[in-house]
Amino acid sequence: MAGVLEVRDLSKSFDGIVVARHIDLTLQSRRVVGLIGPNGAGKTSLFNLICGVVKSDSGSVLLDGAPLDRMKFHQRVRGGLSRTWQHTRLFPSLPVIDNLLIATHDYPGERLVNVLFARRRLKAHDGVARDKALSILRKMGLANVADDLASDLPYGQQKLVGVARALMADAKCLLLDEPMAGVEGQAYAAMQRVVREVAESGVAVCVVEHNIAFIRDLCDEGVFMFSGAIMARGSVAELIRDPQLTELYFGH
Amino acid sequence: MEYLYGIIIIVGLYVILATSFNLIIGYGGLVSIAHPVFFALGAYTSAVLSRDVGAPVLLAMLAGTLIALLASIALALPSLRVSGDYLLIASIGFQLGILEMIKNFRFTGGPGGFTNIPPFLIREFGRESYVVLVLAVMIAVILLVWWISRSDYGRAMTAMRDDELAFSSIGRDAMWMKIAIFGLGSGIAGLAGALYAHYFRFIAPEQFEILQSSAILTMVVVGGLRTTWGPIVGALLLQAMPQAISFLHLPPSVLGPIQGLLFTGLVLVFMFFRPQGLVPAKDVWRTVQRTAGKVRENR
Repeated sequence: MAGVLEVRDLSKSFDGIVVARHIDLTLQSRRVVGLIGPNGAGKTSLFNLICGVVKSDSGSVLLDGAPLDRMKFHQRVRGGLSRTWQHTRLFPSLPVIDNLLIATHDYPGERLVNVLFARRRLKAHDGVARDKALSILRKMGLANVADDLASDLPYGQQKLVGVARALMADAKCLLLDEPMAGVEGQAYAAMQRVVREVAESGVAVCVVEHNIAFIRDLCDEGVFMFSGAIMARGSVAELIRDPQLTELYFGH
Repeated sequence: MEYLYGIIIIVGLYVILATSFNLIIGYGGLVSIAHPVFFALGAYTSAVLSRDVGAPVLLAMLAGTLIALLASIALALPSLRVSGDYLLIASIGFQLGILEMIKNFRFTGGPGGFTNIPPFLIREFGRESYVVLVLAVMIAVILLVWWISRSDYGRAMTAMRDDELAFSSIGRDAMWMKIAIFGLGSGIAGLAGALYAHYFRFIAPEQFEILQSSAILTMVVVGGLRTTWGPIVGALLLQAMPQAISFLHLPPSVLGPIQGLLFTGLVLVFMFFRPQGLVPAKDVWRTVQRTAGKVRENR
């Protein structure tokens, strides 16, 4: 079965340091793939290559069969790719709700022409987007902080807002970069539930994460990366049991 | 009375310039020094078209606005495509280049300036009508920038300033937004230039030199970036100061340098003691109609 997102023979190096070595990866609808490996294995770099934050040296990325390689980051996102960041990267001067409102697929307020001459369209969009944002926030237990400044929230909640923002665009493929780092307690459970629900709604999900318990409970498949290359794939339980991979992960 | 009208018009035009520059540097976060050059392009286009081509003044003014807008897009397009502060560097070259061209072309009147520009409204309706026109444009520009900053576009501008990469990651196009902001702000400067030309009826390249860049920048920074009142207060203060000095009866050769010193001195003092300017901006972006009530209802 063809995947929602296909990475084909992707390679990249910076001044001789290889961050991606002939990577092949397929993400399928309704499945969560966990990307694991030690720091510096190239997991976040792979996300950056898929999104076009960094240009690849060779290889190709396809979304629903269409190549993304000539597209810029924001165009890929509009095409149906969405991502979160390891360090949240929320908009600190905006309230939580506005962080979400601006992230819809077709935010008309981005164009000055609409703001000046299409007030009705803006208002209609705002109504729909606000309902959607509130429903996502409610699911995450964040509805009571909708009007708070994003930068005032505890870190775990900021991470959730980051995921909530990425969900606003109805992406076909969602890339989550360490969603659990710094997240505990209620936020932890909410994150797990939300990621599961997103996948069940038909989205192809890929998670970079060091929290092995989270990966084991959530992912349908694990992919182990080391030094820019994919070393092994399989069920997460299998990968964890492999003594060679454990040694690579923890070092000597 | 004529002296007073002249001052009101100059102050009004500087409020327009400072407010439109606040859109560019404050709300858009785009650093450029070329604002006076778009002021010049508007003034020269309108002056040349109305005096030498015979275009109606109103049409010539609109053409001046349009030329300033198009020139700003031509400057912004290549410099905003690459990341980094290339716009600032490009704007310096653009400012110097365009002024050199104006000084060397015959149709612009060269370094001696362009004289005998056709007046607008004054003959038919008196000088008061022109004062009203400038003040009306000034109020319209203030309201426009205020409204944009609080609209959905203001939300997007705030997000873009906060984190451009995160802005791309939600599918927003930062480059075109910057070009639109720069184009609108510069177009307004062009309109101010056209309004200047048809009242004072004489323009010369030295009126648009780098001292003007520092004056407009000082007005916005001292007044307060990203506020509606900041550029207004800044423009009033900085226009009042030279007028006050002129009563000291200093020789004209000393006046210019003293103004320059005052501008840079003010910016330095404010950078150290009050970086937020006279009118400080709030750190949080809010819409015109706050939705807090609505959010609670929906809970």
